[in-house]
Amino acid sequence: MSIFTRNRSVPIFIGILALFALLVTVMSEAYGTGAISVSFTKVLGMTLCLCLAALAMDLVWGYCGILSLGHFAFFGLGGYGIGMWLMTARTEAVVRANLANQVIPPTEAEVSEATALQIFSVVGGEDWPWMWAASGSLFLSLLLIVVVPGLLALVFGWLAFRSRVTGVYLSILTQAMTLALSLYLFQNDTGLRGNNGLSGLQNIPGAESIGQDRISIWFFWASALALGLTYIGAAWLVSGKFGNIVRGIRDDEQRVRFLGYKVEAYKLFVFTLTGVLCGVAGALYYPQAGIINPDEIAPIASIYLAVWVAIGGRGRLYGAVIGAAVVSLLSTYFTGGRAPDVNLGFMTIEWVDWWPVLLGLGFVLVTLFAPKGLGGLVDYIVRKDRT
Amino acid sequence: MKTLLRAAMTLAISLCLAATASAQDASLQDILQEHAEEIADPSRGTVGQTLTALVETDHPALPGFLTRWQNREAYQRDADGLFVYVEDEDADPLVLLDIESGEPIGTAGSREVTQLRPNGGVRRVIGGALVQFQLGAENPATRLEALSAIANDPDESYLPMVRARLEAEEDPAVRARLEVVLPGLIIAFAEDDAARVEAIRSLDGNVSLDARATLNRLLSTSREVSDVLPDDANVATVLTPGSDQLSIEDAYAMLVAADLAPPLISRTEQRDVLAANVVDGRVGGVPVATLNTETARDAAYDALVAEGIATPLPTQDEVDAAIESHVFYDAYTEPSSAVTDSARATLDSIETRVGVYRFFDLSLDGISLASIYFLAAIGLAITFGVMGVINMAHGEFIMIGAYTGYVVQTLIADYTLSIAVALPLAFAVTFALGVLMERAVIRWLYHRPLETLLATFGISIALQQIIRQIFGTQARPFTPPDWLAGSVTINDVISISSIRIAIFLLGVIFFVMLWLILNRTRLGLEVRAVTQNPAMAASMGINPDRINMLTFGLGSGIAGVAGVAIGLFAQVVPDMGSNYIVQSFMTVVVGGVGNIFGTLIGAGMIGSLQKAIEWLNPTNTLAAQTYMILFVILFIQFRPRGIIALRGRAAGD
Amino acid sequence: MSSLLEVQGISVTFDGFRAINNLSFEIGLPELRAIIGPNGAGKTTFMDIVTGKTRPDEGTVKWGDLSHSLLSKSEAQIAQIGIGRKFQRPTVFEDQSVWDNLRVALKKPRGPMAAIFDRVTDNDRARIAEIADEIGLTERLEDPASILSHGQKQWLEIGMLLAQDPKLLLVDEPAAGMTTEEREHTTALLKRLAQSHAVVVVEHDMEFVRRLDCRVTVLHEGSVLAEGSLDHVMADERVIEVYLGR
Repeated sequence: MSIFTRNRSVPIFIGILALFALLVTVMSEAYGTGAISVSFTKVLGMTLCLCLAALAMDLVWGYCGILSLGHFAFFGLGGYGIGMWLMTARTEAVVRANLANQVIPPTEAEVSEATALQIFSVVGGEDWPWMWAASGSLFLSLLLIVVVPGLLALVFGWLAFRSRVTGVYLSILTQAMTLALSLYLFQNDTGLRGNNGLSGLQNIPGAESIGQDRISIWFFWASALALGLTYIGAAWLVSGKFGNIVRGIRDDEQRVRFLGYKVEAYKLFVFTLTGVLCGVAGALYYPQAGIINPDEIAPIASIYLAVWVAIGGRGRLYGAVIGAAVVSLLSTYFTGGRAPDVNLGFMTIEWVDWWPVLLGLGFVLVTLFAPKGLGGLVDYIVRKDRT
Repeated sequence: MKTLLRAAMTLAISLCLAATASAQDASLQDILQEHAEEIADPSRGTVGQTLTALVETDHPALPGFLTRWQNREAYQRDADGLFVYVEDEDADPLVLLDIESGEPIGTAGSREVTQLRPNGGVRRVIGGALVQFQLGAENPATRLEALSAIANDPDESYLPMVRARLEAEEDPAVRARLEVVLPGLIIAFAEDDAARVEAIRSLDGNVSLDARATLNRLLSTSREVSDVLPDDANVATVLTPGSDQLSIEDAYAMLVAADLAPPLISRTEQRDVLAANVVDGRVGGVPVATLNTETARDAAYDALVAEGIATPLPTQDEVDAAIESHVFYDAYTEPSSAVTDSARATLDSIETRVGVYRFFDLSLDGISLASIYFLAAIGLAITFGVMGVINMAHGEFIMIGAYTGYVVQTLIADYTLSIAVALPLAFAVTFALGVLMERAVIRWLYHRPLETLLATFGISIALQQIIRQIFGTQARPFTPPDWLAGSVTINDVISISSIRIAIFLLGVIFFVMLWLILNRTRLGLEVRAVTQNPAMAASMGINPDRINMLTFGLGSGIAGVAGVAIGLFAQVVPDMGSNYIVQSFMTVVVGGVGNIFGTLIGAGMIGSLQKAIEWLNPTNTLAAQTYMILFVILFIQFRPRGIIALRGRAAGD
Repeated sequence: MSSLLEVQGISVTFDGFRAINNLSFEIGLPELRAIIGPNGAGKTTFMDIVTGKTRPDEGTVKWGDLSHSLLSKSEAQIAQIGIGRKFQRPTVFEDQSVWDNLRVALKKPRGPMAAIFDRVTDNDRARIAEIADEIGLTERLEDPASILSHGQKQWLEIGMLLAQDPKLLLVDEPAAGMTTEEREHTTALLKRLAQSHAVVVVEHDMEFVRRLDCRVTVLHEGSVLAEGSLDHVMADERVIEVYLGR
């Protein structure tokens, strides 16, 4: 494939990703030495999903210049999409098992009713909300993961781009979008269990007999595969004429317009495509996380996504991946309580508390002194090698 | 006889009012001693007579005693049965006080006296007797208390007292209350419908909760079913089964409840019946394992009916026929239609007026919310307008302002003084922080606005965490002084808390101040010049660096002041800023940047809109915020640059 | 000579300032026209209106034999119809190579899908080589545009204009920042283009305009002050007054 030769980062990235996946597999509990615990396998798999979301963010911001502060909303929608199916199927299995003891076997209506009661009693409901209509079917749910974020991105993007909302205004508007969505989900009566969210998502229906050790590594593989394929696809997309136009839009929107391109159509395409990618990433992420609630799509999550891309280096696909992986793994390390406290004599630095300060200030420093991010560092080393 | 007694009582009370110092033959102690046994150990059944006797004496010190008695503050000396008060019930020995003069008359150990402890029922009867005295008390507050007691526990005997009181009353608040309580009593106890209708009419235009409750009570209905519409019932509405007011299911359930139709059976009950009749793995000949569909269960049930085990169910036709042959209606509990009609008309007229007042009240709420948004957003609008910089840490400046208020209050005990100190101090602190941030970070990023957004976000999370480290996560108390704690109540519908009025005034002051700074000072001129054309401004000798620094400081300082104001009514917690930041952004976006009028209009729109949506769906403020944001997103479609669009640097042209 | 662009009585006001005042303008195919005028005469706003960036308050803008109105069209549609524009400041895609800049400008389908599946044909390569030769950047095709000199960026932008293959070229100050030699080359290029295109050149430099040797339109305060050969308009009393003051 020409893309491997045209963009040198693609074979290198795919090679590293494959090696990494192999290494994790060899060290996993299910298929290897067990050096990597099930929970850490999940953390790694989730990190890959975040990298995928960051890749999408890089496409929309780093390449197309749209600083969206709402892409985690699409991520969350993907999670809710798959979560509804997982939770329905799982709860239904539990309900069936409970009803099996009855003298009279349950009717389908009774099973459905009892399942709904089980799921929604926590928010005082007992009927299926309309948005769960597809939750009985895996196929429809998978469709939802793509269609719902895509449709939201399409409608929102169409409204915003056609009235030429750009720059900081657009950022604020996307932030408002994600805030509206999370507030909507926070309400108990909107059908997605309010702030309880969806839980028990790590239980895969039909795979009850398979242990979490194997399921975790399968999801890890799926996440790695999705990331790898997206990387190749994204590299192919940005290395062609489309990439030139989109980068042109980022640098000088007006020039592109006067060349006869419909800038709005391109932006909408990128915005929607990346929205869908985030939806897919979320659908892979939350079965590994096990729980999703409206807090996940609070505006701050989307800002973090932008922060990862900025730290990793915009306009470089590997930059986004590096940024997301490094920052999210470091966050997990420092806030997970595993990092040793530093005793300075007069005070003790507890990382759980001081990590946000460090991250915030670190981010200011990166913006000020390394606008190209960690990816820029990679570029620098590579160029030095060449000369 | 009873009427005569009441008339005498009323006369006695008015006399008592006219001349409280009128001489008495017997001392209160003597009077009480006559009923000593009953007072020491009263019972609900007999205390009434005792009280009547006591009241008849009309002794001036009696109300005081009754109050203490009711509150279990009266004592009896065991040795001689003397009734006394004590100075401090926890002291030992107790200092005994005379019940008339209040002078100390000796001491006693706590075992030498017995506290009078009337039970709840008795205390209520005492309260009733007290009402008579209280109604004539000099203090209007006491009179209002008495009226509340009457309204809560109306009795026919109060009617003449209240009527007499209304004629004499001069205090407007008490009078207003009397004007509701008296009709309430007339409506409840008068026998003549014409008098009651007149009383109802007298409530017209009265928007108080009491008046509305009185009328609503009159209009309470009960749902009835019968073969034909009875002639003697005061029917409010005749209901059609299957309409919004009454579903077919509910109608049939009413018939069942009234024993007018055989009961239906629910799916669950049907299953239970089937489960109770399993014979050899079969129910009515149907294998249990196949009973997982409704059709199969119906068949099995029909089989049980055929065997005579289960009760037959009415068919759909029978259900329909049963409903068809009956009439369903809501009937007023009040039998007189003249009364209910006039109550309905009066209530409708009152509700119209309440609607107008409520709109007014809502507008006040909207204005108050708008002034909060204005204060929170104006600093942001200035920095964005002048410098094209979105400061994500703006919310944290608000938070720091609130914490400044808290810290000042821990140092200065006087709440009023501490706020007077906190306002300028918060401005100074956040001004300094803003200038520091502009010098250290923002000025390097002027040509990269999107990155400013992210850099200031980094500062925002760092600041939030640092404050959390210093002050902890729990809310810190920042208390308004008493004169700000209350609320201004115009009537039962319109009321606004003083603190919101203060914030509104603060908003007005800041608006005027900023307008003056921007339009009447050299600094303002330079700021406007930089806003419109920085290159040109620089070439005319304006130092944009200095202007940017001062502008950013000003914007941040106002955020600090807003923080003090917000901290007075909201919780002072490290992440309080994030509650305001998105709303502030939207205020700026809707209003348009670089113009304080724009921000004012934006804040007004967002504030009143949010209140309006809350009014449509009052139980759900989250939904109100959701819809408000959707509105903003749509609004931007039509005015992408806000209400007051600006040409220049910030407009991005 | 048929009329290609016909502007009739347009006016536009910004915040009370009348930038264009009842302006009419006409150009046929092929023709070379220079527009001159002092600062604030409305030259750039005029171009903004023709290219769809600004909507006039009144007046009509008609295009081609069929006299289509351009007023309801977007910038992109107007560019696709055949109006190319070079800005006053050179605007090229700085972080892309000269070759990529020209490729983006090449006249081909403009939709996103067409761009995604676009393949560089031999035809495209030949066309890019031809344009690069024309604008003297053959040697620098692989270089990023950001390292070109100011004059070369001007050239690249003209090259991008050529790649679009428009019927009408609106060229704003093409000679700014160019050496004398480069200017001569530019003049020659514009004159050659004008044999088959309609070309409107906005220029301050009278010497450059003289060398173009074409019909000149003088704008002042948003309307046409005079029109004719350079010598003719320079002899006009009002033009002298505007340029030299009283």
